[in-house]
Amino acid sequence: MKEEIIALVSEVLEVPKEKINEKTNLVSDLDVESLDLVDLIAAFETKYQIEIADKDIKKLQTIGDIIKYIESKNV
Amino acid sequence: MYKLYIEKNISSKSFLEKVLKENNIHDEIVYNDYGKPYLKNNEIYFNISHSHNVTVLVISDGEVGVDIEKVTMREKVIAKICTEEEKKLIKSAEDFTLLWVKKESYVKYLGLGLAYNLHDVDTLKLEFITMQYEDYYIAIYGTNLN
Repeated sequence: MKEEIIALVSEVLEVPKEKINEKTNLVSDLDVESLDLVDLIAAFETKYQIEIADKDIKKLQTIGDIIKYIESKNV
Repeated sequence: MYKLYIEKNISSKSFLEKVLKENNIHDEIVYNDYGKPYLKNNEIYFNISHSHNVTVLVISDGEVGVDIEKVTMREKVIAKICTEEEKKLIKSAEDFTLLWVKKESYVKYLGLGLAYNLHDVDTLKLEFITMQYEDYYIAIYGTNLN
């Protein structure tokens, strides 16, 4: 799961996988802006067939947060 | 009434300080619960957006939101945020980018950040000011813009 999510983030944001780990912060480390964020959310929703509620988006600050969130959806 | 400023290679903070100084506005910045900045003691509204190295700033005498984005295409985003009518109108990256900045400018106008569902912003029912700057699109939404 972890490697898969890092690979997806790397692909969507066009950032090398080596620069991404569980502690990586989307905004402060990867300069993610709102369009990138919506693109990422859409990619996770498509890949894992889940729905990420708008109110949950602000909780997803690091790659670790995303991994935990997607795992909590029983994927 | 509004004024639009565009500059390259400047931080949002420095740009705001510069524009406020030019307009002889000396005030404190305060934020709403969703992080939208306001002037504490002036009935002047402002909003800032940046894309790559270009920053755009609007000051207005009414609530305002602005967004700038370099021309891009994001297929998955279209599926997520567009109404069926909007989807039919997107034929190019330019169409998509223009639609995106419209939605964002409206959400920034509301000042609710990502708590607001972009899908609920029907750009076909709202009036925006839009413009092109090099290969960027800009949209402004606000009250009292004319």
